Amino acid sequence: MEGAEPQRRALRLDVISGEPSGGHGNMALNGAEVDDFSWEPPTEAETKVLQARRERQDRISRLMGDYLLRGYRMLGETCADCGTILLQDKQRKIYCVACQELDSDVDKDNPALNAQAALSQAREHQLASASEVPLGSRPAPQPPVPRPEHCEGAAAGLKAAQGPPPPAVPPNADVMACTQTALLQKLTWASAELGASTSLETSIQLCGLIRACAEALRSLQQLQH
Amino acid sequence: MAGAGSVKAALPVTEALEAIVSCCVGPEGRQVLCTKPTGEVLLSRNGGRLLEALHLEHPIARMIVDCVSSHLKKTGDGAKTFIIYLCRLLRGLHAIAEREKDSLMCENIQTYGRHWKNCCQWKFISQALLTFQTQVLDGIMDQYLSRHFLSIFSSAKERTLCRSSLMLLLEAYFCGRVGRNNHKFISQLMCDYFFKCMTCKSGIDVFELVDDCFVELNVGVTGFPVSDSRIIAGLVLQKDFSMYCPADGDIRMVIVTETIQPLFSTSGSEFILNSEAQFQTSQFWIIEKTKAIMKHLRSQNVKLLLSSVRQPDLVIYYAGVNGISVVECLSSEEISLIQRIIGLSPFVPPHAFSQCEISNTAPVKFCKPLILRSRRYVHLGLISTCTFIPHCIVLCGPVQGLIEQHEDALHGAFKMLRQLFKDLDLNYVTQTNDQNDTASLFICKNSGESSQVPDAGNGSLQKPYPDTVAENKDELEKTQTYLKAYSNLAISDVELETYTPYSTPKLTPADTFRTDEMLRCLSLEENRLIGDYEALLKSSSTAYSIRGNSRIEICYENLQVTNITGKGGLLPVSCKLQNMGASQSYLSSSVPAGCVLPVGGNFEILLHYYLLNYAKKCHQSEETMVSMIIANALLGIPKVLYKSKTGKDSFPHMYIRAVHALQTNQPIVSSQTGLESVTGKCQLLTSVLQCLTKILTIDLVIPVKRHPQKVHSQDSEDEL
Repeated sequence: MEGAEPQRRALRLDVISGEPSGGHGNMALNGAEVDDFSWEPPTEAETKVLQARRERQDRISRLMGDYLLRGYRMLGETCADCGTILLQDKQRKIYCVACQELDSDVDKDNPALNAQAALSQAREHQLASASEVPLGSRPAPQPPVPRPEHCEGAAAGLKAAQGPPPPAVPPNADVMACTQTALLQKLTWASAELGASTSLETSIQLCGLIRACAEALRSLQQLQH
Repeated sequence: MAGAGSVKAALPVTEALEAIVSCCVGPEGRQVLCTKPTGEVLLSRNGGRLLEALHLEHPIARMIVDCVSSHLKKTGDGAKTFIIYLCRLLRGLHAIAEREKDSLMCENIQTYGRHWKNCCQWKFISQALLTFQTQVLDGIMDQYLSRHFLSIFSSAKERTLCRSSLMLLLEAYFCGRVGRNNHKFISQLMCDYFFKCMTCKSGIDVFELVDDCFVELNVGVTGFPVSDSRIIAGLVLQKDFSMYCPADGDIRMVIVTETIQPLFSTSGSEFILNSEAQFQTSQFWIIEKTKAIMKHLRSQNVKLLLSSVRQPDLVIYYAGVNGISVVECLSSEEISLIQRIIGLSPFVPPHAFSQCEISNTAPVKFCKPLILRSRRYVHLGLISTCTFIPHCIVLCGPVQGLIEQHEDALHGAFKMLRQLFKDLDLNYVTQTNDQNDTASLFICKNSGESSQVPDAGNGSLQKPYPDTVAENKDELEKTQTYLKAYSNLAISDVELETYTPYSTPKLTPADTFRTDEMLRCLSLEENRLIGDYEALLKSSSTAYSIRGNSRIEICYENLQVTNITGKGGLLPVSCKLQNMGASQSYLSSSVPAGCVLPVGGNFEILLHYYLLNYAKKCHQSEETMVSMIIANALLGIPKVLYKSKTGKDSFPHMYIRAVHALQTNQPIVSSQTGLESVTGKCQLLTSVLQCLTKILTIDLVIPVKRHPQKVHSQDSEDEL
């Protein structure tokens, strides 16, 4: 390594001075020590990474092209986080295509960040437990209306074995009341926010939240009866 | 922004632009809807218009759009192709840089030093690109591609243009620019216009005139379907008569650029009035003077007065009294067009009361008002003194946007034709080892036109020197490029009295230009051409002397001047001046006027193939790298054009078939029947490479808060 260093530096000076290095076989980018033999084709993992990067870049270009056609302005600056060129809309708001559109594809599914995702997860659990209810009632030849506590208990047991407890199927009334209060609280908060909101997107999301809360409340009430 | 290499900064910009233009390229391309920053909506397939409508503040983006605009101003074709080439070239360079970067051991290199090293690397690459373009690329086109060229002219010796081949060319041009329902009609319209405006002795100057003055030669009328567009003989002025007196018989006209009525005083003099009586006398004098001038005009049979300024009411009144029609406030472009057509200079009203002959009048066939959808125009029938027969296109369309689209497309087509009918100079350097290669000198150039090929910079010869041109001027004139325009279809609704019909109709070749047919004709002519060439070599006795190491003085004696264009152009060479250097020879050749190739990416695939061959033979690795990059970039166009095709017509199949045909020396069968101009493609490639070298020489981009301007020749944001 040490021996190669001074040689490389000397050759680098050659490039900077602008003398045509026609004698060297290669591009003379960094001297003669990088010849074609030291370049190996990328491995499969690297190819996948390259492919993913190219696809991401293609998506970014397409989105940027779309926005440019809609009248957005292409600025001369790049985003500090990801390095993509920034766009500016007619309201003079700066917009980064990669950060705000592409990368949030992943965040969309994270329940911690998105209320929609949280509700959909809850609904999935609810569906899963609803399918458990008939399962739980089969082994016990019960009167036509099985007692809720019995099968629910079985269901709860199964659920506990699987994973997090389903919040929409409470085994007793306390939890039900708790959930109902929480839902009502959320409803109140959402309606207050809706009244105060000025952006279209936020309003739409809040309406979705309210609808989901109302549905949850309805299913809760159905369970209670 | 500081610290980013130029390719890294330019690549995302170009990719975004490419994403926009790639969906409207080619005959399968779609229209693009663009919202301008002002809120207007533009629906277009015209690449140049789209790029200019985008709101781009990024300096590299603005630079690219500037390059595209200046290329379009010259050639009228290729904006979208430009962006696609540029994008792929940048990607190729980026890939190379990434590859080298990975194998660099960079722990000890500081960021600044690394950045500087990057810049030197790009400068080196840009130098290599420029050298390749000026020294090698033209050579490949001349030596290898020229055998595939077809000629749009239907006869070898005289440049006879027939309607069907022109239609093939124009249809291919318009189907990428105009909506699918209109492009056949517009091609037909343009073809008709072309044949109506040309006489049998018309030359390139007609194209220049039409190209320069196209705005004045067309009128747009909204509210009618496109199929109502037609061609009108004569000139249509975009103004109405201020005073119209119907006249027939011998009509003469006069152009004035100032008011006829004399003023009280002229600039630089003082006019002193002492009493009202003096004021009255002066006014009376003015009235009498005006009356006299108008009467004098009338006596010379002048019945039309064209004025570029507003004439006072008195003049209009006396014109009416004397039966002279007046048109005022004409634009300077219209006046200069009229002057070009009829060669008339403006009339200056005499100061004194002399009854001299007015020499600046010109005869006019007719002048009458023309009403197009409730707007009145002046319809003038001019007697042309040049080779252009004035006709006007009336473009109809349901909305103004569509009319503008068609107008742009037609204007671009004229620019394209103007470039097509000129020879394109090719200059390159070859490595020759034999000293006995003296024979291939001689023959004078086909035409004196010069194109915009850049200087090689190291003394290569491009144009004949002034002293040789002067000596052989008469011989050059014999070979002055001229076109014989002729139409083999009956024209029903047009006045034919101004058009000289051809007495001997010529047989035109089949409508589909398959290269194998061409080659068959070629093999017969080939022997004749080679025979001519050899005869030339033997019979001419030329002497040449070498002064210094880069000038050649050639005397032409007993030189037989031949117009070798030929179908397929095996020997398209019209002038090869060879320098007897030791191991390098500077060759100068040309692509003759009228060279075309079938559409569908043929040019790109041919050049790609020959560049790859060259890269294999080449010893220097810079040249190999550059030719590989350019070869790969060229494939971008056929890929986009064949994107929508599947099965046997898809791009991989087409590519393999073409390469196989080239390797086995068979003719390439093209599935499409259109033609495209070779000159346009060569010029496009040159422009792209020059834009790329400009980008590569940018080291640093410094953002400056400034409103984007349309014209920015001194941009403080680029630092070399």
